Amino acid sequence: MKYKINIRKYSKWLILVAFVVVLTILKPKSFLTIGNISNVLWSISVVGLLTSGTIFTLLLGGIDLSVGSLMGLSACTTVLMIQKFGFTNQGLVRGILCALLIGVVAGCFHGIVVTLCNVQAFLVTFATQSVFLGISQVLTNNKIISCLKPDLFTAIGLGRIGPFTFPIYLMTMVALISWYILNKTVFGRYVYAVGGNREAAKNSGINDKMVSILCYVFSGVTASIGGVVLASMTQQGMASTGSGYETDVITAAVIGGVSLLGGEGKIQDAIIGAVLVGLLNNGMNLVGVPSTHQGLLKGMVIVIAVAIDLAGKYESKRKLIEFKKGRKVV
Amino acid sequence: MNIMLEAKDINKSFSGVKVLKDVHIEIAKGEVHALMGENGAGKSTLIKILTGAYTKDSGSIFWKGKEVEISSLRDCQNLGMACIYQELSVIPVLTVAQNIYLGREPKIGKTGFIDYKKMNRMTQELIDNYEFPLKPTDMAGDLGIGLRQLIEILKGLSCDAELLIMDEPTASLSGKEAEILFRTIETLRDKGVSILYISHRLEEVYRLSDRLTILRDGVNEAVLIKAEIKPQKVIRFMIGKEVDESNGSVKTLTKNTNETALKVENLTSRGKFNDISFEVKKGEILGFGGLIGAGRTELVRCLYGADKYTSGTIYLYGEKHVPGSTKKSIKKGFGFVPEDRRGEGFIPLLSVNKNIAVTNYDLISKKLMAISSKEELAMCLSSIEKIDIRPPDPDKQVGLLSGGNQQKVVIGKWLMRELKVLIVDEPTAGIDVGAKDEIYGLLQALARSGVVIILVSSDLQELLRLSDRILVMRKGKIVKEFSAGTVTQADILEAASGLMEERL
Repeated sequence: MKYKINIRKYSKWLILVAFVVVLTILKPKSFLTIGNISNVLWSISVVGLLTSGTIFTLLLGGIDLSVGSLMGLSACTTVLMIQKFGFTNQGLVRGILCALLIGVVAGCFHGIVVTLCNVQAFLVTFATQSVFLGISQVLTNNKIISCLKPDLFTAIGLGRIGPFTFPIYLMTMVALISWYILNKTVFGRYVYAVGGNREAAKNSGINDKMVSILCYVFSGVTASIGGVVLASMTQQGMASTGSGYETDVITAAVIGGVSLLGGEGKIQDAIIGAVLVGLLNNGMNLVGVPSTHQGLLKGMVIVIAVAIDLAGKYESKRKLIEFKKGRKVV
Repeated sequence: MNIMLEAKDINKSFSGVKVLKDVHIEIAKGEVHALMGENGAGKSTLIKILTGAYTKDSGSIFWKGKEVEISSLRDCQNLGMACIYQELSVIPVLTVAQNIYLGREPKIGKTGFIDYKKMNRMTQELIDNYEFPLKPTDMAGDLGIGLRQLIEILKGLSCDAELLIMDEPTASLSGKEAEILFRTIETLRDKGVSILYISHRLEEVYRLSDRLTILRDGVNEAVLIKAEIKPQKVIRFMIGKEVDESNGSVKTLTKNTNETALKVENLTSRGKFNDISFEVKKGEILGFGGLIGAGRTELVRCLYGADKYTSGTIYLYGEKHVPGSTKKSIKKGFGFVPEDRRGEGFIPLLSVNKNIAVTNYDLISKKLMAISSKEELAMCLSSIEKIDIRPPDPDKQVGLLSGGNQQKVVIGKWLMRELKVLIVDEPTAGIDVGAKDEIYGLLQALARSGVVIILVSSDLQELLRLSDRILVMRKGKIVKEFSAGTVTQADILEAASGLMEERL
């Protein structure tokens, strides 16, 4: 019994190790090199960064589908700001501050609409997804704005410290902050409590609305940081630059065992989930799977992995919920 | 008499405990037959056997004189019985007619398209036949709970049901809705439909039933015909004859003369309860008795700050207390154990450790905002020891504990604080006897240490055993106070059913 639980607890790490072993055997020369590992991590750094914030909304049992287009908006804002201030460092600082502000405001808006107006998070963020995209399109006149200067700007996405690029360090830092908040602070405990049973949390004196709003703010802020990084990586501002990232983030979280019903999941596992997706992409390239087949294969692997991992867990949770509904009030 | 359904010598036990002993019930054609009994008398078990949800250990069931085996709800429907549930299965976005013929819609020829005209006509015929205040094209979601219940009844009738089983049908109805239901039941009876009516509300049974079967502790206590159904008599049969301190059917109350701890003046929440005033002394256990829906839960939730009230004042040790939020109440020394343990009491996915700590983070020291996990664990271990949570594993998910231990966790988190008032709503519902005694012990010890305990309980035995004083609520008002002298279960039940008012 005890043994079983432990396997479940570390299943993601086991899969990760299995992945690495298989790829090392298949491609001994090209896979396990610092360069390749750095590449894999770089490719998932933005997803990992976003996941560190979006996980808060998932833990509540909510969701944030707007992160992709919010990234686009903050990427465009940053680049436009830099352009306005003549490609100087001053413009960069203002651009980043603007992007962060947008993230906070967007998060507040989501949180307030979801909690105070009782609208489903799915609907609200689905709607704002196109709102943010629309704003970006208006701001940029639907054009791609190229931005190669200042050097500090390009360093955010492409700069190297040692063998790794800067976004990898940034992702690690944000993930660590997220881990600290979730595991060490009272707020983190409250997030799990509200996600696990909102009524019980309220009865325990937790201001569940405040907790919810803050969670959406975290999600917004990491999306805007992600936008800045992505703008720097691509050296341009484009409205649609982040589209699709919301799917990657949710995929990473779910593969990492974060329950979409709320109350359950760990940031470290979600990051592992992101790494697994990155490894899968990388592995397919190394082994030489044609790019036309990659999407199909990736989707199938994800479905199978998630189904195996969650089959037991959702079953038990469903039982809990049914028990609650079937409970007879005498 | 033309007997529709007869159950003979039904026996049933759960894990060795006999819950039904040679129970017998018969329902004649065109009669309203009521089934009454205290909580745990075996009413639900009997109904579940009759509808095929449980299998009986022994005994036989006869339908129109022929012995039958009922092993599923389908069997029961095929015979011509319909069960109207408390929790409705009506689909709100469909019309009355669509709900009634769901899954067996009349088709146009063999095309597979639904013949809505015919469906509405068939529904209208049914409605006319039984004089229901409904229209076939009404959207179910626009109707009140009472009328939705009528849809359920029609659904049963449309399958030619000759016997309707109604389990506490008025539990969630307003007075007006209940009145419509009663009239419907009377019409149905006149049309020859039999009804098995389960309720613990005396006035309804008194009004509706032609015969009444009373169960007590899983045994047939009496079968009364209409002329014999007298409230006092029914109560006596339900509770039993011997009035004895040891079995908790009677208690001598003594006055508590401590200082007043909590004082409530004219508390009102529109539509829920009205003009409630009472005082509680330090260290007193104040019990609230009454039927389900009397407004007790709503009242204590307002006291705690979980819900808002319309008007009134609350004083805590002479100081005015406005429970704006649960957080504020907790700071002032309130604790709350809600009625719906699983839905509102604890967080099933989190460990015992975190469930105990969840209300007490203000007492745990923090460094750089990080909680001292050492203190958190120490708190959990001390509460595990204090209230004997089994297994004594701080990392165990609370959802995996037994009901009794879950409740101990819910209560336990309050014991870690300096409490002034602890509100407990149905603290032992669905909990085994051993854990019950432990929880009683905990509450009594708390009261001895000076904490005010406000207890809401529908279990009369529990109410009598724990309370120093008992207030009985009915329809949102306090109708009776038992503060000194002897009080019996029958007294409380009479007050809760409104018999006291009638006699005055």
